[in-house]
Amino acid sequence: MIFSTAYSIALNDRAALERLGPALSAAPYNAPPQAPVVAIKPRTCWRGQGAATPLPEDLSAVEIAPTLGLLFATDCGPGVSPSAAIGAACLALDVGEPGGDFYRPAIRQRCRDGFLPLGDFGPWAEALAKVEIVTCIDGQEAHRWSLTRLIRPVDRLVRDLSDFMTLRAGDLLLVGLPDDAPIARAGQSITVSASGLPTLSTRIEAQA
Amino acid sequence: MRRAQIFHGGRLVWATVSDDGAALNLPGGGYVAADAAAWLPPVTAGATVFALGLNYADHSRELGFAAKQATPLVFLKGHNTFVGHQGATPRPADADQMHPECELVAVIGRPTRKVREEDALRHVSAYTVANDYAIREYLENYYRPNARVKNRDATTPIGPWLVDAADVGDPQALKLSTRINGEEVQHGTTADMILSVAGLIAHLSDFMTLMPGDMILTGTPHGVRFVAAGDEVVTEVSGVGRLVNRVVAS
Repeated sequence: MIFSTAYSIALNDRAALERLGPALSAAPYNAPPQAPVVAIKPRTCWRGQGAATPLPEDLSAVEIAPTLGLLFATDCGPGVSPSAAIGAACLALDVGEPGGDFYRPAIRQRCRDGFLPLGDFGPWAEALAKVEIVTCIDGQEAHRWSLTRLIRPVDRLVRDLSDFMTLRAGDLLLVGLPDDAPIARAGQSITVSASGLPTLSTRIEAQA
Repeated sequence: MRRAQIFHGGRLVWATVSDDGAALNLPGGGYVAADAAAWLPPVTAGATVFALGLNYADHSRELGFAAKQATPLVFLKGHNTFVGHQGATPRPADADQMHPECELVAVIGRPTRKVREEDALRHVSAYTVANDYAIREYLENYYRPNARVKNRDATTPIGPWLVDAADVGDPQALKLSTRINGEEVQHGTTADMILSVAGLIAHLSDFMTLMPGDMILTGTPHGVRFVAAGDEVVTEVSGVGRLVNRVVAS
């Protein structure tokens, strides 16, 4: 599967804004976010279903943020219906260094090679906009969240983004990251599952 | 050699530019006159596009930041942002603080991981010119410079072509300039970059793999001048290219 650009939306979990609260009005942010907070995951991040997720030698653990990925089938600019433009969906793990802030683009923290394992794609269905995503580490449930936590649900998010940028056919959009994303270490096996989509599996593999 | 991507005969074609710049020679023979060409961004599908903020000390001071950032300010761009030579860039009606930024662009030629600065330029295959417009009203302090400023459709003119790295020589000895309707509003030299092209490649490849076709927009010198709809904006890097763009109302 060849994509164009993979976008990932930060600070779209209600829990994140509740946790950060007054800090969002203090330096360096000075005001809560208005537009969606957008990051890009470059192509060197992408890994297909079953492939290992590399743990760089300078990190002892990674944050694995389970989310929903939307693949656009047609260009989605102002006035286009999001549901008509979305062609497929998958489960995804947006991997990054644990912690960190949101002031500057987190390229070193979130764009290491292999930091975006993706499940196989299934058809897009409206029900996925509120799906519950369950993450297991070594067979034990480690995290569970529902996309009902999103500040901007799928339809609103796509509309707000396409107000100022076209989501192009072939682009992938990760709709939001849970504030309480689990931490994973070398050797651990991860599965991410949700009703209506193929399960994503990967293993955290220490780099030599 | 200079290579341009154009629209010709119902498809995208990479043409080579004649020495005098007047003709775009087509693969398999024939040519298109340069002044009749439909120029496209000289960008490879899927390429990762890096851009640098605050990579010239004079521009950093102009914006009220420290001359040198503790870590380089790198952001990524989607391909929706690109528009080719002689293209149009939309200016929203409320964007009173939209300004051009002339930048040297380095194109990666081979897989690059943990390369040393002294070896890094061997991984550059070509250079081009970009004009990475910013709209200051839309700045927010989340992943700044945020997408509403730097990821808008057609706000990054790029081209007109790729110039082979061997034909450019030292990338830290090039003059940059921006002219709005003929008036020079930005001029500088790549000698003033805080992190050089080689330094940027060493920095990025220290933590991730750069791939052929990936592009690094290396930042812009001082000179913030706002544009209006109808303006013609010409960004030029000596020995690389002269990129023409028109601002249009949207």
